[in-house]
Amino acid sequence: SVTEVRSGFTAIKANIQGRDPIRTLSILSYPHSLHKVQSSDRCCIAHHLFNFYVDKVFKHCKTEDSYINRKVSSIANSFLSMKRKLEHCHEKNKCICRQESTEKFNQILANYEGLNVTSAAIKSLGELDILLDWMEKSP
Amino acid sequence: SGELYCSLPNPRNVHFESINMKNILHWSAPEGTGDGVLYKVKYLVYGDSKWIRKPECRNINRTWCDLSSETSDYEEQYYASVKAFLNGRCSDWIETTRFNPLTDTKIDPPTVSVSSTEKSISVILTAPEKWKRSPEGEPVSLLQVYPGLQYNVSVLNKKTKKRWFFSVSNNTLVVPWLEPGTDYCVSAQIHITTPLLHSGFSKEYCIATLKDKTA
Repeated sequence: SVTEVRSGFTAIKANIQGRDPIRTLSILSYPHSLHKVQSSDRCCIAHHLFNFYVDKVFKHCKTEDSYINRKVSSIANSFLSMKRKLEHCHEKNKCICRQESTEKFNQILANYEGLNVTSAAIKSLGELDILLDWMEKSP
Repeated sequence: SGELYCSLPNPRNVHFESINMKNILHWSAPEGTGDGVLYKVKYLVYGDSKWIRKPECRNINRTWCDLSSETSDYEEQYYASVKAFLNGRCSDWIETTRFNPLTDTKIDPPTVSVSSTEKSISVILTAPEKWKRSPEGEPVSLLQVYPGLQYNVSVLNKKTKKRWFFSVSNNTLVVPWLEPGTDYCVSAQIHITTPLLHSGFSKEYCIATLKDKTA
């Protein structure tokens, strides 16, 4: 659940964000904050972002610290179960993807691909609270 | 750029201290430096391309700087940085960790008001306000910032020392079936489930239930 992801992230936040030296670039928030996304696009973007984290981010976040690695894999597992729930929504077509959401997600991908894969993955992981804050905000 | 020779020891423990989103940057003086050290401060919205100087905290000798105004958008995250100067020498810029006002602020306890009848106590709880730029500014309750905000309420029977705990989502609580003519003390805490945050307990507010008129 989101609470599990939140507590797992809180435990590794300082460590992971400390590995990201780039202050002036954000994967999720550039050029516009996730909070600027319209509520009608939330489901689609959340769906895309879950896939993004599962398919692109977690697997490239191996560190030399076994505690961090364990926390990352437990966050990844929680993401997988949330992803399945969202997939159910997506299949039932309750999750419409308009052009704005596709453009926003493509921007996120472009931000990600602008860095080498490890830096991009660690930065994305360090921005998990941006995603969680956005998801938990009432629409 | 006429940069001074930066061999001064660095400011230490540069960090944000935040209460109800009043966000103050704090640091400790560089090791081994007495009086006379001056500082300047800059900050950055995470993901933005440029650091921004804080003019009110330029050439200051105190070791804190109020950045509440600059960090008031809690949908953003921030870094701040401090540089020290002494006798023509300077330190490096020393940064905070990434600051997220939403998750990194401390919350004050709620205010509690109590009233009583013969056999019940009514408790009204008020969450603190988010910091605001000026007293005339529009008040924003932390309840608006954290929709999942709840209250934990403790009620103590002063005679029997029996204590009850209640968890309430709205801001009122009525405790029924109490003993007439008895002192009860109420204290409350704010609890937010996600992000996980909680305040301390408020001080105790004591009140007596009315005496039983039929007795």
